[in-house]
This record gives sequence, C-alpha cells and structure tokens, in this order.
Amino acid sequence: MKTILQAENLVKVYRVGSVDVHALRGVSLDVEEGEFLAIMGPSGCGKSTMLHLFGGLLTPTEGRISIDGEDVTAASDARRTDIRRRKIGFVFQRFNLFPTLTAEGNLRLAERIHAGGRETAKNGDEHRREVLSLLKLEDKMHHKPLEMSGGEQQRVALARAVINNPAIILADEPTGNLDTENSAIVLNMFQEMNYRFNQTIIMITHNPEAAAMCRRIVQMRDGQIVAPSTGVQL
Amino acid sequence: MDNLVVNNIRQRPLRALISVAGVALGVALVMLFTGLSRGMSNDLQRRSSNLRAEIIFTRSGGMELTSSTANLSTKYADELHKVEGVESAVPVIRYVFQGGGGFGFEQIEGVDWDAYAALNAMQIVEGRAPAGVDEVVIDETKAQNNKTGVGETMSIFGGKPYRIVGVYAPESGARVKMSLAAMQDALQSPGKCSYILVKTKAGVAPEDVARAIDAAPTTKGNKIQFTRDVVTNVEKSIPYLGVFLRALVGLAAIVSALVVMLAMYTTITERTREIGVLKALGASRGFIVSLIEQEAFLISLIGLIVGFAVSLAAGYLIHRAYGLMFEYGWRWALVAAAIGVGGGLLGALYPAVRAASLDAVTALSYE
Repeated sequence: MKTILQAENLVKVYRVGSVDVHALRGVSLDVEEGEFLAIMGPSGCGKSTMLHLFGGLLTPTEGRISIDGEDVTAASDARRTDIRRRKIGFVFQRFNLFPTLTAEGNLRLAERIHAGGRETAKNGDEHRREVLSLLKLEDKMHHKPLEMSGGEQQRVALARAVINNPAIILADEPTGNLDTENSAIVLNMFQEMNYRFNQTIIMITHNPEAAAMCRRIVQMRDGQIVAPSTGVQL
Repeated sequence: MDNLVVNNIRQRPLRALISVAGVALGVALVMLFTGLSRGMSNDLQRRSSNLRAEIIFTRSGGMELTSSTANLSTKYADELHKVEGVESAVPVIRYVFQGGGGFGFEQIEGVDWDAYAALNAMQIVEGRAPAGVDEVVIDETKAQNNKTGVGETMSIFGGKPYRIVGVYAPESGARVKMSLAAMQDALQSPGKCSYILVKTKAGVAPEDVARAIDAAPTTKGNKIQFTRDVVTNVEKSIPYLGVFLRALVGLAAIVSALVVMLAMYTTITERTREIGVLKALGASRGFIVSLIEQEAFLISLIGLIVGFAVSLAAGYLIHRAYGLMFEYGWRWALVAAAIGVGGGLLGALYPAVRAASLDAVTALSYE
C-alpha cells in the first residue's frame, strides 16, 4: 500500500513572549492511502498543530513531512499553498463556509481555487450535483449556510473538501459543534467517502465514538504520540 | 447571483455605499471643477468670437477679469476714428458684480446700442433697445436660462431695479447691456468708459492699425489688445488655474483612494477568518489580492457612474440656480474615470496585500 503522508520527527516550538512553547516534541507518523485515521488526545497536546503542519499551514521547527511524495517542509510558502491546493481538503469544527455563498457557490469557489483562479470545467455543474447528492444535499444546493442546520453545513464543508478529489482530507474536530444525531450523519459520510472512494482521512476528535469509526487511532499527549497506533476492527 | 465579490458588497450595503460615495465625490469634484472652468472659458470664447471689432483699446487695469473700472475717457473714440485704418470705435463700460446667490460673478455693459449693434451685427429680437436710465436688454441665452424676458425686472447696482426692455441676438460680450449714458450715470463716471472696441477697415491688417494707434500722439501710451487674444488673456489672468486643477485632481484621487482603503481595511479585518479559510483551501496570494481588488474595482465602477451622474445633475442645478456654465469634455471624463477606478484599486492594494500576507492559522482562529 502507498504511503500518502510521511511525518518524521516533527518538532514545533512556538515563541510566546520570551517563552518557548513546545507544541510537538518529535512526532513521526506514516499514513497509508485510503486510511481513516483518528488523532485523539487532551486539549493542548499538539493535535491541531500537527494537522496544520500536515496541511502546510505551518512549518515545523524540525523534521520533515512528505505528502503524496512531495516534501512540504522544504517548500516555499507559495509551493506549500500549491501542494495544499492540489492535495489537501480541510474540514473544520466551525464549518467555515462562506456565509454569502450558497452550498453550490461554496463548492464552486473551492473548484475555482483548485483551478488556480480560472473558471471551472463545463461539466462542473454535474460533478457538484453528484457530490452534493452523495452527501444527501441535492435539495440544499441553492441554500446559504445560515439557511441550513449545523449537520447540513458540515456536510457542505465535507463536499467542499472532496470536490477536487484531494489526496488527503484533514478534519479538525468535524463533529465538535454538532449534536449526536448530526454527528452520526457526518461521521457516516466520512466513512462512506473512505470506503467508497478509498479517500484518505485524518481526523482530530475528542469523541471516542467518532474515533471508533476510524480504522486507526493515534493517541497524543504533551506533543508526542504516546500510544501505539491502534487498529480498529470495523 | 452566487458571486463572492458581489455578495460581499451586498452583505454590507452601508459600507459599500460610503465607499461608493467616496469615489463618486472624487469623480464629481474633478468633473464639476474642470467642467466649470471649461464651460466658463468656452462661454467667454463664444461671446468674444461674436465681437466683430479686432482691437480693444483700454488702459492698464481697465479690463481685468473681475474689475469694473471706468478709467478711460470716451473722447479717445473720436481720436481713434482719426487713426488711419479705423472704421469705427465704440466705447463700452463694463461693470462686474457678484452673481446671483453670491456665487461667481456677472458682467453688465454700458454701450451706445445703435453703434454697438451695428459693429457686431446684433439685433433686437424682442422688444426694443435700452434708452432710459433704468432700462436694460439681455441676450437670448440669459432670457432662456433665467426664464425672464421683456417686461420683467432685474436688480443691479445694489438692488436697484432695472426693466428688461429687449432681448438681443447673437450673444456678444456681457449678457446684460444698458445705455452708455445710463451706466455712466449709475457709476458716476460721466465721459468715461472701460474700453473702446475698434473695428478696422476691410483689407487693413489689425496689427498695422494697432501700430498706428500706438504711434498716434493722441492715443499712444494706452493698452492695445487684440480681440482674438481675450480668452487666452482671461485664462492667464487667473493665476495658476492649471496648477489648481491638477492639485484638485490629485486631491480627488487621494480622497477616493483613502475612502476605499479604509473600507477595504475594515472588510479585511471583518473577514479575517474567511481569508484563513481561503488560504486553507489553497488560495494563492495573487488570488486573495485579486478577490479584494475585484471588490474595490466594482465599488469604484459604481462610484464612477454615480460620480458622473452627480456631476451632470449638480452642473445642471448650479447652472439653473446661478447661471454658471458647465461643459464636460472627454479628456477630463477619462481623467476622472482613471482617478475613480485607479484610486479605488490603489487604495485597496494595501489591505489586499495585508490580507494575502495573513498567517493562515492565526486567521482561522480569529474571532
């Protein structure tokens, strides 16, 4: 199986005033293509920092990250942006949809960014409809975020993340703002994406039930992976 | 319309409106001032071009743009008649007073109507020539603009009423004329005038006549001006008019740029998290800059259209109220357009670059 993400000895130190804060203290992790991986751990253990490093939003103080064969750490800011554009899809806890755009508009914007600012292909409409219907959002296509429930918004955010067929989806507590019912719906969608399309997903979660739906769980504490990766029987 | 740029503008209509007003103000300032300058200059040129006399004989200070001096003896007219090549010499008193509503200035001339009309091929199209000391005639443009005419009265010389007894055409010199005697009486300047219009005989070069006037013992030492130079001299007589207009254009550009910059800066602060999301989606710096510049461009474009509309409306209203002439030219319209759009784009550049340089993680966690 192909290794889609490789992190070696990642160290991240933030300078806060005159104090050095060690967010990551030598994390190494390999993620295979098609994996659905949960990262768990208490607040402040470095989960989000690690996710931001994987997404090229941050650069490590030490260590190396490779995404789908491309070294993110050695890349310039513009190059990391380019890798993120082509290979990464983000899903956030707070959905982060553009409130002035409809569900379709949000997807169209992601497509336009993916296309480097150019207008998207003519078959884009069909593709968007396909993705939205897969996430059971076909009737919400022309709705704006505030006209949708939290669960629906998060599904649109997931649709936005997958619309450009990224190599990896990075999800930062995607069910953190959802009730139990909507959490289950969204997690099922993640799982379906993983099963049906072999989509690689790395998900931060505090929720053991959410983590239980993943193929593997990584436990973190104090900037380190503390427990060996746990394979989950599904 | 599902467009981020358009929707962002629609989301904050008041802010968009203020930005549009800022750009429109800059554009309107340029259009109105240059339109007024051009309108007044062209108006003067039109009226001067109807003067058939080739030479204006006057004294220094007798015919400045805003002066109303009657310091030249009318006896010079008789002396000018004696100069070789002179066909006729008609004395004129010009009086300059503050325009209606205290805005701008107006002129009135005192002339011997028959001689003046014969010289400039003018005729009374309604009513009759001025004769009494409280009578005036006006040109067709003034009658039309002020919606006035024969039988009406107008106030001159500190509110003194004058009856309009005739309307003449074509327009030439001041738009209001009274008899020379009446004007001399009103100004208490008997036997005086501001200048004398000199018509040269056919086939005689005005330059030769001017030289002859300057050489004649009875007329030498006075100021001799060619009618064709009047407009040029008027423009020269407003010192630094060009500099003023250029400074105004610069100020308008700064106003437009500052208003758009402040509006876009606020926008960026408000949308910090959205910019973080754009970065997380892989938007390049160029993409983010272009998104903000597109918004600024759209605002500037609307401001430009509003600015043009305001200029036209304000020009019309000022003309109706105060009689000031506005003429808009393509060149200044293009300058105004460049200021409106260019100022807007330039003003948005700093906020745009700042947005593109935001740290993605910090932006994403912005509350």
